[in-house]
Amino acid sequence: MTSKMPDGKAMRDGQIFSARLNNVVTTEREFDELVTKSLPELLDRATSQTKRFLRETNQWGDDITHEKLALRWGYELVERFVVFGRTEVPCRPFFLLDSLIAKSFSQPDPLCYHKELLTPVGRFLDGLASRAVVSRDALIALFYHFYGFSQAHVVKLLGFGQAESQRVYKNFERWRQSGWQRTMNETGLSGSEIEVLEQELRTRPDHLNNEVDRLMPVLQSHYRKSEPEHYPCLSEQKWGQLFHDDYGHDYRVWHLAFCRDCFLEVADRRQAEVSNGSKPQVNLHIHPLKKGGVLALFSGDRGGRQHGHTRAQRLSRTSA
Amino acid sequence: MDTPELNDYRAHLLDALDDQPRRAAEERPGFLQVLVNHERVGTLDCSQAEPAFACTTKDRSIQHLEIRSESGVLLGGCVAPEAGQKSLSLPVGNGSLILNVQNHFDGGSLQLRYDVAPGWWSHVVSAIGFPTGASSTAAPKVPVWSMATAFAQVVLAVGVVALLAERVPNWLGSEDRAHQVEEELAARQSTQDQIDQVHRQLAQLVEAQSAAMAVSRAEQDRIAQLNTLVDTVAHTQQKLSSQVVAVQEDLKTVKTDVAQEVQGGMRVAVSAIEADRDMVRQDLQSIKSVNETLIKQVALLESRNRELHARLALTSLEVAKANAAAPKPTVVAKNDPPKDTPIATAVPVSDAIREADRQAFMFWVAFQDGTTEKSIEELVQELNGIKKGPMKSGWYSVEVNLPHPEPPDRFLESVKRAKIVKSVVTSKAMPPAQ
Repeated sequence: MTSKMPDGKAMRDGQIFSARLNNVVTTEREFDELVTKSLPELLDRATSQTKRFLRETNQWGDDITHEKLALRWGYELVERFVVFGRTEVPCRPFFLLDSLIAKSFSQPDPLCYHKELLTPVGRFLDGLASRAVVSRDALIALFYHFYGFSQAHVVKLLGFGQAESQRVYKNFERWRQSGWQRTMNETGLSGSEIEVLEQELRTRPDHLNNEVDRLMPVLQSHYRKSEPEHYPCLSEQKWGQLFHDDYGHDYRVWHLAFCRDCFLEVADRRQAEVSNGSKPQVNLHIHPLKKGGVLALFSGDRGGRQHGHTRAQRLSRTSA
Repeated sequence: MDTPELNDYRAHLLDALDDQPRRAAEERPGFLQVLVNHERVGTLDCSQAEPAFACTTKDRSIQHLEIRSESGVLLGGCVAPEAGQKSLSLPVGNGSLILNVQNHFDGGSLQLRYDVAPGWWSHVVSAIGFPTGASSTAAPKVPVWSMATAFAQVVLAVGVVALLAERVPNWLGSEDRAHQVEEELAARQSTQDQIDQVHRQLAQLVEAQSAAMAVSRAEQDRIAQLNTLVDTVAHTQQKLSSQVVAVQEDLKTVKTDVAQEVQGGMRVAVSAIEADRDMVRQDLQSIKSVNETLIKQVALLESRNRELHARLALTSLEVAKANAAAPKPTVVAKNDPPKDTPIATAVPVSDAIREADRQAFMFWVAFQDGTTEKSIEELVQELNGIKKGPMKSGWYSVEVNLPHPEPPDRFLESVKRAKIVKSVVTSKAMPPAQ
C-alpha cells in the first residue's frame, strides 16, 4: 500500500494516481484497478471534504477526536464510492467521489455529531449504534452491550421461535468472532482506550452506566431515523397485541434495540418470561459475551457494582 | 495533525477498504438487507424460491441504494438519478441481483430480484442439448460435442459399468454378511428390548390413566356437589331478595302512616294554639275596657277631689272672714273665761285641717356612685324633706310631709325618676343591706 512505501515514492505514485483519478475511466476493470491503487488519495479527499463540512457547520475542533471522526466518515464515503462507482462507469473517479460526498452531506442531519459523543464512551456507543444500522449482528448485540441481555434472554424478550433463535445465535457467534473487533477498529477506538473504559466500568460502574443512560437518547434519536416511517413507538396495549398475535418480528428487533423507552416498557411487560422479576436497566458491557461465559441478568445492583472477581458470584451461566 | 495514533487508525481504515472486495466475495447470499437513502427498508431472503423485494418511497426519490449482508458488509448498490430509471445487475454470491429503480421528483419505487445461478447439472444438460426449464424459452442450442465424442463417452460408460459389476460382489463379501447378521441380531434384540420397554410404559400409562379417571370422577362428584351448593345459594338469594322487597314495602307504608299522624297532630296543635290566642285577645280587650273605665273613674274622682279642695278653701275663707268680723274680747276676755269655745278654736281648727292634710312619710334612698353631697342636698330640698341621721351603708333616710291626696307610691315614683337616685325603699324597720 502507498502509506507503507517510502515517502518519495509514495508522493510520486500519489501524484500519478491523482492525475489519473481526474481522467475518464471507461471500464469496470480499469475502475477497480485504479481505485484499489489509489485508496489513500480517495480516503484523504473524502476526509478533507468531511473536515470542510464540519468546519462550515461549526462542528470542528482541532483535536485528534475530530480528526478520527473525519477519517471515519471519510472511510464510509469511500467504501460506498468503491462499490457504487463500478455502476457509474464511464466516469471521472474524483468527480464521482465529490458528487457522492456532496449528495451525502446534502441530506438533512447527515452525521451523528454531538460533543458528548466524542468521549471514549460516547464514541464506543456511537460506533456500536452506527454499525447496528447496517449489521443485524451488531443490532442483536446491542441488547447485550447496552443492557447485558444474553442470547437466551433476547430470544425470550423478542418472543422468537426456534428458527429465529438459531439465527440470533449465529449472529452472536459472528459478532463475537470478528464483528465487534472490526467495529472498534473502524470506530477508531484504540486498545488503550478500550482498556480505560473497562477499568472505569470495574471501578465506577454506576457512573459509567449513568453516562450511558444519559447519552442513549441522543444516540438513538439519530440512528432511529433510519427506521422506516411505519415503525413508530407503540403504546403498551399495541405492544401487547403484537406479542399476543405473534407478528412484527423484524420490527421488534429493530425498534427495541434502538428505543430505550420502548425496550424498558416491553421488558417490564414481559418480565415473567424474561427475568426473575427485577426491572431491567442500562448495564454497559464493553466486550462481547465470551463463549460459555457468565452474565449478569437484571441485577438490581448492576453487575459492575461488585469489584473484580466477586462480580461473577451474582451471575448465571448462559448458553451463548 | 499527524500523530502515530491517527496514522494507525488511517492504516486500519485503508486495510479495511482494501479488504472490502474480498469480504464481499466471501459473503454467501442469505438475508440481504436493503437500505434506501441510508434507511433500512427491508430484507430479501435469497434462500426462498424466486426471491424478490419491492418498495416505494413517497417524499424523496431513491438516491442511494445499498445491498448489505446480515453482518453489514456492503455487497452492492448504486446512486440513482433524481428522476428517471436505473437498472443494474450486481453479482452476489453465485447469482445476480437485478435492481430496477424508477424515480420521480416526489418519490420512487424499487424492485429487486435475485436470480440464482444455474447448477452444474443444468450446464451438463444444456451442453448435451436437452431442453431445461430455465432454457426452454431460449433459442435451441447446438450440441458442442460431435457424435464421435458422444459415442466415445457411451463406450466409456459401458466400461465403467462392467468394472463396477466385477467389484461389487467383492465389496459385499462373506465377512460383511456375518457382520450384517450379527448386526441384525443385535438390532432385533434391541428392538425386542424396546418393545418390552414400550409394553411396560403402556402398562404404566394404563395405570396412570385409571388413576386419572378416578381423579376425574372424584372431581366430577365435587363439581356436582358444587352445583347443588350453587343452586341452594341461588335459591336463598332469591328468597332474600323477595324478603328485602317486602320489607321495603312495609317501610313505605309505615312512613306514610307516620307522616299522616304527624300532620294530624300538627293540625290539632295549631288549632288549639289559635283558640288560645283568641282567648288571650278577648281577655286583653276586656282588660283594656276595664282599664278605660278605671281611668274614667280616676278622672271623676280627681275632679271631685278638686271640687272638695275648692270647697274646703272656700269654707276656710269664710271661717276666716267670720273670725275677722267678730269683736275681740278685751277685759272680759281677760277676766272671764271664754264661753264661746267654738270661736276661740276657729284658727287652730284650720291649722289642724292643714296639718291633717299633710302626712309624715319616711323613706330610704340610695344614690348613684359619684353623686356629690350638694346634689343630694338639692334633691332633698326640692322634696321639702329632711335627712334623718347619717348615711348607713349607702342609704339616706329622708322624711317628707306629703299632702294627703298624693299617695306615697306616686311620690316615690317621682323620686325614682331623678337621675342621681339609684334606688328607693320604704322599709322603716331598718335600712336595707347593700
